[in-house]
Amino acid sequence: MSAMKMNRRRFLGVSGGALAAATLGSGLGQLRAAEDSEDLSKFESQGNKVSIASNCAMCVNKCGIIAEVIDGRLHKINPNPEHVKSRGMLCAKGNAGAALPYSPDRLKRPLLRTGKRGEGKWKEISWEEAYRHAAEKLAELKKKYTNRSSVAFASTEGLQEEFFYYLVSGFGSLNTVRHPTLCLSTNIQGWSSVYGVYPDADLRHAEFVVMIGSDRAQSLITPDSVDFQRYKPKGQILVYLDPRFTETAAKADKWFAVKPRTDMAFTLAMTHVILQEELYDKAFVAENVHGFEQFREHIFSNEYTPEWAETKCDIPAEEIRWTARQFARHAPRSVIYPGRRSSFYAHEVYFRQTCAMLTAICGCWDVKGAVVPKSSVSLSSHTPLFPFFYDVEERVDKEAVGIVKKVVPSVVDCPLVGTGLPEDSCAFLSERDGSWITFREAVLHDEPYPVRGFFVFKQNPVQSVPNTSKTLKMMEKMDFICVIEQQMSDTAWYADLVLPHSTYLESWDPCHALSGIWPVVVARQPVIQPLFKTKTMFEISRGILKEMLTIPELWEDTDPEGLEDFKKTVMEEILDQPIQAYMEHQLSKYPGAYEQILEKGVFALSDQPQYGTTRKKGFRFKTKTGKIELFNERFQAKGLDPMPSYCEALRPRKEGEYRFLVGRTAWHTHSSTQNIPHLWEIMKENAIWINTEEARKLGIRNGDSCRVSSKAGQQTLKAYVTEKIRRDAVYYVNGWGRLSPGMSLVYKKGASEAEILEDTMDSISGSAAMHETYVTLEKA
Amino acid sequence: MLQPRYAIVLDTRKCLNCKACTVACKFENDVPVEDEAYRIWVTEMPLQGRFPHLHQEFQPSQCQHCENAPCEKVCPTRATFTTESGVVLVDYDKCILCKACMVACPYDARFVSLKHKAVEKCTMCIHRLLEGREPACVETCPTKVRVFGDLNDPESEVNRLLGSRNSYHLKPHQNTRPRLSYLG
Amino acid sequence: MTVLKGKLQHIIRDNREVPSLPFIGLGGLLLIVGMIGVLLVFSKGHEAVYGVSREVPWGLLIASYAYLVITSTGLAFIGGLGHAFGFASFAKMNRRIVVLAFITLLAGFTQIGMELGHPFRLMYLFLLSPQFKAPIVWMGIFYSIELLILGVELYLIFKPGPTSHRLSAFFGFLALLVGIIATSNLGFVFGSINARPFFHGIYFPIFLVVSGIVAGAALLLVIHNIVFKFRIEEKLTDSMQALGRLMGLGIGVMIFLYVWKFAVSLYVEPEGAVQAAYALLSGPLAAHFWIGEVGLALVLPLLLIILCRAGNSMVLGLAGLVYLLGLFFTRYDFIVAGQLPPMRQGFEGSGVHTVNGLAGYAPSPVEWMIFALGLGIFFVLYFLAERFLNLET
Ligand SMILES: Nc1nc2c(c(=O)[nH]1)N[C@H]1C(S)=C(S)[C@@H](COP(=O)(O)OP(=O)(O)OC[C@H]3O[C@@H](n4cnc5c(=O)[nH]c(N)nc54)[C@H](O)[C@@H]3O)O[C@H]1N2
Ligand SMILES: Nc1nc2c(c(=O)[nH]1)N[C@H]1C(S)=C(S)[C@@H](COP(=O)(O)OP(=O)(O)OC[C@H]3O[C@@H](n4cnc5c(=O)[nH]c(N)nc54)[C@H](O)[C@@H]3O)O[C@H]1N2
Ligand code: SF4
Ligand code: SF4
Ligand code: SF4
Ligand code: SF4
Ligand code: SF4
Ligand SMILES: [Mo]
Repeated sequence: MSAMKMNRRRFLGVSGGALAAATLGSGLGQLRAAEDSEDLSKFESQGNKVSIASNCAMCVNKCGIIAEVIDGRLHKINPNPEHVKSRGMLCAKGNAGAALPYSPDRLKRPLLRTGKRGEGKWKEISWEEAYRHAAEKLAELKKKYTNRSSVAFASTEGLQEEFFYYLVSGFGSLNTVRHPTLCLSTNIQGWSSVYGVYPDADLRHAEFVVMIGSDRAQSLITPDSVDFQRYKPKGQILVYLDPRFTETAAKADKWFAVKPRTDMAFTLAMTHVILQEELYDKAFVAENVHGFEQFREHIFSNEYTPEWAETKCDIPAEEIRWTARQFARHAPRSVIYPGRRSSFYAHEVYFRQTCAMLTAICGCWDVKGAVVPKSSVSLSSHTPLFPFFYDVEERVDKEAVGIVKKVVPSVVDCPLVGTGLPEDSCAFLSERDGSWITFREAVLHDEPYPVRGFFVFKQNPVQSVPNTSKTLKMMEKMDFICVIEQQMSDTAWYADLVLPHSTYLESWDPCHALSGIWPVVVARQPVIQPLFKTKTMFEISRGILKEMLTIPELWEDTDPEGLEDFKKTVMEEILDQPIQAYMEHQLSKYPGAYEQILEKGVFALSDQPQYGTTRKKGFRFKTKTGKIELFNERFQAKGLDPMPSYCEALRPRKEGEYRFLVGRTAWHTHSSTQNIPHLWEIMKENAIWINTEEARKLGIRNGDSCRVSSKAGQQTLKAYVTEKIRRDAVYYVNGWGRLSPGMSLVYKKGASEAEILEDTMDSISGSAAMHETYVTLEKA
Repeated sequence: MLQPRYAIVLDTRKCLNCKACTVACKFENDVPVEDEAYRIWVTEMPLQGRFPHLHQEFQPSQCQHCENAPCEKVCPTRATFTTESGVVLVDYDKCILCKACMVACPYDARFVSLKHKAVEKCTMCIHRLLEGREPACVETCPTKVRVFGDLNDPESEVNRLLGSRNSYHLKPHQNTRPRLSYLG
Repeated sequence: MTVLKGKLQHIIRDNREVPSLPFIGLGGLLLIVGMIGVLLVFSKGHEAVYGVSREVPWGLLIASYAYLVITSTGLAFIGGLGHAFGFASFAKMNRRIVVLAFITLLAGFTQIGMELGHPFRLMYLFLLSPQFKAPIVWMGIFYSIELLILGVELYLIFKPGPTSHRLSAFFGFLALLVGIIATSNLGFVFGSINARPFFHGIYFPIFLVVSGIVAGAALLLVIHNIVFKFRIEEKLTDSMQALGRLMGLGIGVMIFLYVWKFAVSLYVEPEGAVQAAYALLSGPLAAHFWIGEVGLALVLPLLLIILCRAGNSMVLGLAGLVYLLGLFFTRYDFIVAGQLPPMRQGFEGSGVHTVNGLAGYAPSPVEWMIFALGLGIFFVLYFLAERFLNLET
């Protein structure tokens, strides 16, 4: 561990050269210590202080941290001013991480269920027993179903996730499900269909920004959440579309309370204006774009005019026109912000396509202040060789043909014929990510084969996959569930074996190249020693795989050489080595980088923004034509609409129904952080937002208890009566109404989102379409 | 060299209401999780207008480090005092918990600390200043709403900001002469 | 014992005439309750058992402290009138006045002692590190001096042999003067608070002095009625009438002050003061205000005094009792009302808790128990004095 002893009167950050000075900016150079004539010794910090650089893991962003450890106890987490991506900031959650290791609710030892599932009766067992148990169960499942894919593996991104995949690959199941189809897969697919990649936006230099349903003031993404206000260039205009008046709306120059699900009318109409008034970047289009003429024809023939759009999205035609003209005027420093979570609606991929296309016609691409493809620092990879197994079947969500039409009820209700959406199976399923909704449905129907084992790492599907009752039913079907967690999440509560994972503050996490306009490499080192008998995924995979190797039946369907290669390249060369060796290898291209990571927590090749890789002559985009596609050849080939057409709601809103919206607060991450006292105290339970007028109609007053019902379920929570939301929508934040008593502060407090969200989906990407849910409301 | 005159300048227009500052302060200064125990707060000012023409401001604040500090004047034991650089502090060993300062502070910046068994409030992170570091709330803020610096240093960012933009104090009629200034 | 008794005969006696036992018993009960309160405070800590909060840091115990010590200085004022300014009708009650004043002050000190987080620190820090700008320091200094003077007066009235008239006049005058300064200083503790417009200004220094003198008179009326079982000796009736007139006059001045205080608050609507005024008139303190402050402390006693033309000692005693009950609300209300308008609005995120724009406060059981302690000390000590000391002047 690299421990930098802090000298009194020496500021850690300024040692780091130009960037540090630039990010600090506040004249700290001039800061002098108080006069010595005064005795302020009473006010000095006490104890032996050590500062260790690492990276936050309280959400996806991996901001730079400098942990301050006093006399062996983590006292405070400070931001790292030298972290190019996080720009020396640390949000509320990042700060609150300091309480995580000391939570009385933490999982401390492996737990084996002794009572009924969900009854909460556990026996503490040793790690040896836990590894053995997991390995034996895997063997049992393999034997019973003669199909390794009968065990499913769920996870969410994180630096240890790759070692979870060592376990997955060592066992050989193809059934893995990750978070993207709950999160950003429609965004990835929408933008990639046009550019072959999912880009970032250079908010630090953009002059005109249109943000659509990306609540950057609360849904923190670094560096965007920093840049869009801290470095807001003089005169920059921010236009924000959201049915709710969020903190981002409060910062925006213009807020359009768009009617839910109709943003596409807005972007299509903007496109119409720009094409009609010939405001687009002709040179850029001529050089880089495929299908422009068809696209123009498509927009014109459908008459996507601002006047038409106004009737759909409730945004005045003049405003749409203004936005379009401003957008074109500021091009290329204009941004339709790609955003992140886009698990909003069916058809979402088409909508995201329109954003990408609008960007393309104005040439706001890959230059300063525009939308820019992510760059990356390339790391040296290891070459683990996993055995090839025979008893494996294709993923359920891919194989279960017809599952979309047959089993997703909201899709059954609303035939997809003529909607541009596939009815049989998801059009573009990502191999590792799968599609959570389809996957669960297939498991529930044993389609096309039974899945009876379930391993979960760093994911809480009970709260993060819409329609909890289905998730619980799916879990009931399982012969065996193992959850690797750091707290007794709702998912862990229903497990058979719970393996306690070390917090990110106690563990070595391998290097990870964070791609973006400011690409960096991050890694983690322990800032304190593990407080309890917890382990990292690296150690857990090693432990389980070792036990598996002692069970011959597990290796009967593979060839011996493959097995030997596995033992050598995975077990001996990686898992049996210290993880630091793994990390050193990752950075081996860059002499001194490993040391720098230990010292500064972050490694970057440059502190300058990276533009222009795709602007080089002869660059081929990763699309079918190698060009930016406005006419999508792959979609065409799959029988999808090659160009985005406006799509009406799957089902029109009925009287008394409200569209349910999903969103975040700046001080919580999904369902992870509610039990941390310092965050919990900011807002002790969630409340449902309802427009003042509607509340009056329903006889609901602020603070009244309300019952919210949807096709998926029912929840009761307090009302927050406000002007901040449209009349046709309601909203509450995720993370409350918890089922696990192990989350003592929020157990049964407020309401759970997942329990009322319907499991509609976008069948192009297989992504959940969370905002397709309608709810009704009454005073409880 | 002149004695520094520490000050904090806040640009609320940048505030996201993200509460990073309030949480950072709690850890930095071991302020317990308790309803009344806080040194810093971020107020959501009342929503202006009616849907869809809405406007809202967030106002982060803390002890104003008043140059004319009523809390200091009413403190019978000199427990509350001002350092030469203008930081208003409480010497916990001298506090008798008469709470006169709490009643006298126009900003409700003080509270009874169970940890110190005394009244406490924002110290401008004096322990960090002694180490040449910025206050925790200043450092952690994503958008750098707060700028910390020395009013006696003509080159300082605080002076640059105060020189280039309008600024105001909270409750100026109280004549407390705060060291916290808000940019207009 | 007998020797001692012989020597101290002129002070010590066993006065079975005075109905002291029931009051000593009552005081004893209150003391027990109070001691339990003290134990709770020391075992659980002030913060855990008191109802005061960040928004309303001063509560019942500041009110009970003010109630008792201001009554004490009111007594000292009346004593001073008798001694130094030749009001013979007051001089006739001198022993009772001094003993009452001394004990009431002691009882008051228990309240502030239990209110302060560090009462022992106070004792040495007031010497080592006083802040002379702080009104509390002066309040402390003057109340300490007052205690000292009352101590000397006690000595003088009980010491064997005659005391020179000039000496007792001198101390009587001192007690009066220091009493006024101490009380007005206590008023200044509030009056100096610019942040709380309802407190701010010279109103409370004046109001407290006046209402304190009335309280002194009222307490003397009540005590004499008790001691003489409502049949006050002939030679004291003029004293009682004088007290009654003093009370009436004082209440008149109080009403005058009230009217202008509220006129200023309601017409000018100074931020903070007007909310406090409405809290009293129609807000959370309205019942206290109208029934306690106006009904019991102003209207009813004044009516009684006027009806009996300040003549009937028993009616005056009743007026005194009613006033003392009402005055407790007066003390409580002014302290609480001034703090109800919050220093920051209770918006989301502010951390401030308000209902209808006002902070809230309700005394906790333990605060009441500490108040019981003060009353217990008063009853026990005073009625022990009545029983065993010769309080006839
Ligand atoms: N209702 C609703 N559903 C949603 C969303 C929503 O807003 N509302 N958002 C969607 C989005 S965008 C996403 S990305 C997903 C996220 O959904 P999930 O990936 O399920 O994320 P969390 O809910 O944060 O749950 C993560 C779990 O991992 C645990 N954990 C944290 N760190 C570690 C670690 O180091 N090791 C281990 N083993 N466990 C750890 C946490 O304790 C927590 O229980 O949810 C999606 N689903
Ligand atoms: N504090 C915090 N930050 C986070 C996370 C977190 O949990 N907490 N999670 C991280 C992750 S994994 C993700 S994916 C991102 C998510 O961050 P974002 O991509 O910004 O997504 P959300 O905040 O979920 O939703 C954004 C907004 O969309 C609005 N909305 C709903 N329906 C519509 C609609 O029809 N049209 C329009 N225009 N808007 C609509 C909602 O009201 C909401 O305010 O945040 C990341 N950052
Ligand atoms: S945004 Fe906050 S929680 Fe997420 S990594 Fe950064 S500091 Fe941590
Ligand atoms: S950290 Fe900064 S942006 Fe966040 S609430 Fe505090 S002042 Fe506002
Ligand atoms: S804000 Fe309050 S506590 Fe701070 S210096 Fe001013 S009066 Fe004192
Ligand atoms: S409570 Fe403490 S700091 Fe405040 S005035 Fe009293 S002694 Fe001074
Ligand atoms: S300066 Fe320090 S003590 Fe004051 S509010 Fe900021 S973090 Fe808290
Ligand atoms: Mo996400």
